[in-house]
Amino acid sequence: MKPMNFRRPQGQHRSTFRSPAGTALILPAAVLALSFSSPAAAQGNVSKAEADAKLRYCEVCHGVSAQGFHGYYPIPRLAGQPTEYLKNQLQAFVEHRRTSNIMFNVGHVLSPAMIDALTTDFNQLNPKPLGGAPKENIDEGKNIFENGVAAANVPACASCHGPQAKGNGPFPRLAGQLYDYITAKLTNWDKERGQNPSSPDTSAVMQPIAHSLTQPQIKAVAAYLSYLE
Amino acid sequence: MRSLNSLQFNRTTRARFVWLVSQKLKSAGSHVGLAALILTFVLVGTVSAQHRISLSGDVQAKISYCKDCHGVSAQGFNGYYPIPRLAGQQPEYIENQLRAFIEHRRTNNIMFNVAHSLSPAMINALTAHFASLNPPPIGGAPRQLVATGRKIFEDGMPEVNIAACAACHGPEATGSGQIPRLAGQLYPYMIKTLGSWDKERGRNPTVPDAAAIMSPVAHSLNKSQIEAVAAFVSTLRSPRGTPNAVQ
Repeated sequence: MKPMNFRRPQGQHRSTFRSPAGTALILPAAVLALSFSSPAAAQGNVSKAEADAKLRYCEVCHGVSAQGFHGYYPIPRLAGQPTEYLKNQLQAFVEHRRTSNIMFNVGHVLSPAMIDALTTDFNQLNPKPLGGAPKENIDEGKNIFENGVAAANVPACASCHGPQAKGNGPFPRLAGQLYDYITAKLTNWDKERGQNPSSPDTSAVMQPIAHSLTQPQIKAVAAYLSYLE
Repeated sequence: MRSLNSLQFNRTTRARFVWLVSQKLKSAGSHVGLAALILTFVLVGTVSAQHRISLSGDVQAKISYCKDCHGVSAQGFNGYYPIPRLAGQQPEYIENQLRAFIEHRRTNNIMFNVAHSLSPAMINALTAHFASLNPPPIGGAPRQLVATGRKIFEDGMPEVNIAACAACHGPEATGSGQIPRLAGQLYPYMIKTLGSWDKERGRNPTVPDAAAIMSPVAHSLNKSQIEAVAAFVSTLRSPRGTPNAVQ
């Protein structure tokens, strides 16, 4: 049986993280805050209570330190992700550039001020990777990530995602991302990204690369990245 | 060989008989009563084991014993308590819950005693069997709540921070691994469980578990939202069964 990771790793506690005793107090407070402060959000302000309540909501699915979670789907790690990438993806869900019914609904109700608060918070988190990937092809994955596959015209992933896979601006952090999430994304790139022809986006950059990688290469890169701190 | 109908009838009768006995014993409320109840289950279960030969006698007897309370096809049963559907349930989920009863993470005296006597091999056989079943839901929920429940299940209510159930339980509520199938689960069981989450789950502070994930979600739903989601999932059939089930 695979253990589920549901605890915030040490050193990642925010002051508002619920202790069992604090749960009863914080939730009603959050609900109250939401009831009374919606007009403020529309004007471009977001209270700490509002932002904290929304973070708890995100972390239900993305994990308590946003380290990712295996729900029915692999739900990606958001911790340490560049704010620009997160903002662009939320926008992509709303604009149907990236198709996900659940994330369309989630993204749709977020004010710009709330998006600023959320992306800043996720960017600052740095929990350990969730792990769990097969380890036998990690060296091959590291080699592909750092050097590419010249024979197949696959550039080094590191040239855009950075030598430590921390991402930059619109390029996502891949370090610590879930193994099965990366595998699914690279395998289904054309079915999930760049889905709105009237609004072409940067996902086109990855399209030929995703195509050029074989399934074993995808799995090797995904395994390497999923352990990278 | 008996016809399916007579077998079905006898099993239903048996379930009612056991339920009646359990009511008598509940009023007596003694440990002797509980032991007698378990003995009754085992004896009655053994009789029906003769009708199947595909599983070993021990396993078949235990399956019959489980079905005395959980329903003849493990579709759930409204006893004194709503007794949950196990049919199509994720094996890993059932295994974890059985362990939760033993470790007092999940408090239930009856299920503590049931789980305590199961060997790992027996648990594997039982969970594989239950995962393979896919009877229709027993139904009975108010129909007018289903549409609202579907909306909450599929989309959540992002404006008030209610997560979409489908993200973890799957678009058809079949569950995955430790995350339970909800499709066809009993309406009153869903209401009871969501309405008293923190009183029933994650009860052993020394053994924290995945129940912590659902705690804020259960809290975020009000009573009418819980009833709506419960009504929706209780009517949900799963045409494909349980995709991750270990056969």
